[in-house]
Amino acid sequence: MSTVLTPPESAATPPAGPPSGRWHRRVAWHLRHNPKRELWLAWWTLVVFYNLFFPMFFVVAQVQPPPQPSWDLATQVHWFHERHLGIPIGFGIIFAIAGMTAVNNALIAYSMRRMSTSRAFGYAYLLIYSLSAIPGLLLLCIALIVGTLRPERDPKVIGWLYDFAFLSFDGTMGVFLIGSLIWMVAILIDKNRVFPKWFGYLNLCNALTEVVVAPCWIFQRGVLAWNGQIAWWLDMVVFGVYQVTFVVMLFQMIRREDFGTGPLPDLPRKNT
Amino acid sequence: MTDVAETNKRARFVPGQPDMWAFVLFETLVFTAYFGFYLFYRARSPELFLHSQAQLDLRVGVFNTLVLLLSSWSVARCVQSSRAGAYRAALRDVYITAACAAVFLSSKMFEWARLVRLGDGVDSNDFSTYYFFLTGIHFVHLLIGFVVLGIVVYQLRSPERRSQELVETCATYWHTVDFLWVLIFALLYVVR
Repeated sequence: MSTVLTPPESAATPPAGPPSGRWHRRVAWHLRHNPKRELWLAWWTLVVFYNLFFPMFFVVAQVQPPPQPSWDLATQVHWFHERHLGIPIGFGIIFAIAGMTAVNNALIAYSMRRMSTSRAFGYAYLLIYSLSAIPGLLLLCIALIVGTLRPERDPKVIGWLYDFAFLSFDGTMGVFLIGSLIWMVAILIDKNRVFPKWFGYLNLCNALTEVVVAPCWIFQRGVLAWNGQIAWWLDMVVFGVYQVTFVVMLFQMIRREDFGTGPLPDLPRKNT
Repeated sequence: MTDVAETNKRARFVPGQPDMWAFVLFETLVFTAYFGFYLFYRARSPELFLHSQAQLDLRVGVFNTLVLLLSSWSVARCVQSSRAGAYRAALRDVYITAACAAVFLSSKMFEWARLVRLGDGVDSNDFSTYYFFLTGIHFVHLLIGFVVLGIVVYQLRSPERRSQELVETCATYWHTVDFLWVLIFALLYVVR
């Protein structure tokens, strides 16, 4: 059964489609009349967030790829000193955009709400990802900014902040793992064909690679340390593939969205 | 249906959901990377790896492999029985598979305990790290396998459900776990 909801008044009597002509007229039409404008706003927020997130961590703050866990205190203090500008600027921007993660999570929860499954999946995902932003993002930023902006502190304290930052960032992947599994189960039992089943299995692959980050609590060197080939590099490759895939999947979901409750319709095929 | 159409259909047929094969491919790629790192580290310190491999009991490895191969055989029988509509036999085969998996897990835990008692912990040396990591991540796959077998039992028990596609999808997962173990066994126990 498919019930098509009547969109709010803005879309009640829209023109047949976006006007042809200058781009600003088309943008204005979409902003005023497109019934999917909120979904597109959320999707673009997701894209903007990740396009800022990675450059801030890798280029501006230069805290990823992560440094050696086994460095001595003097090297750790020097590492903070080298980033006395990059970390405050990069993480200042991260703090400013961190709220966008709420919109990202909401869009993913929306995808589960559109499925034939219980809404509990979406709520559980929202809850667990709201919590995971604390150890998986904010604690690292706070600890590294403190270490950078309080260079006069005892080197032992700076060393503690160094360990705390990277262990909280890499060692708490369990919460992300559970989030991936929730999404996976929802996709696999969904009957509305919101996502293809292989994407559900890709969620499982992503969750399984997040398991292997946990040993970074034990190892200070080797492949399972927080900067190891398996615990970080391989995990990052899998996460990158997963991330690009889910951004594309959400894009396709919004294109197919009909605001009904039954199976999502396929996109019309292009004439060749 | 014409013969040509029949042939095409057979040629395109894959057991279970085709989507599961994406998982098989992706996991194979990830494990290939794990094995690549293992071989790289092994080439850097061959003596250490040879010495540590000697601590492993090859008989336990062979026993584990045979048990898992038996489990793969029984899950394949389950698929055949299910296709033939013999659901009681199919259920019996799933239980045999689960029993084999339980034997494997118990044997693996005993082997870990023995190694730890001998002083070979996860961080003793590079080989131990790899040994516990590879067998550990495979162990996690096998635990998920129990959920998968549970889905097969759930499907087979009720005439209203009985999705042959799901049974085959779950069997594909199980064969993947088995296939990965054969590679892990070869690398850790046999290749010296």
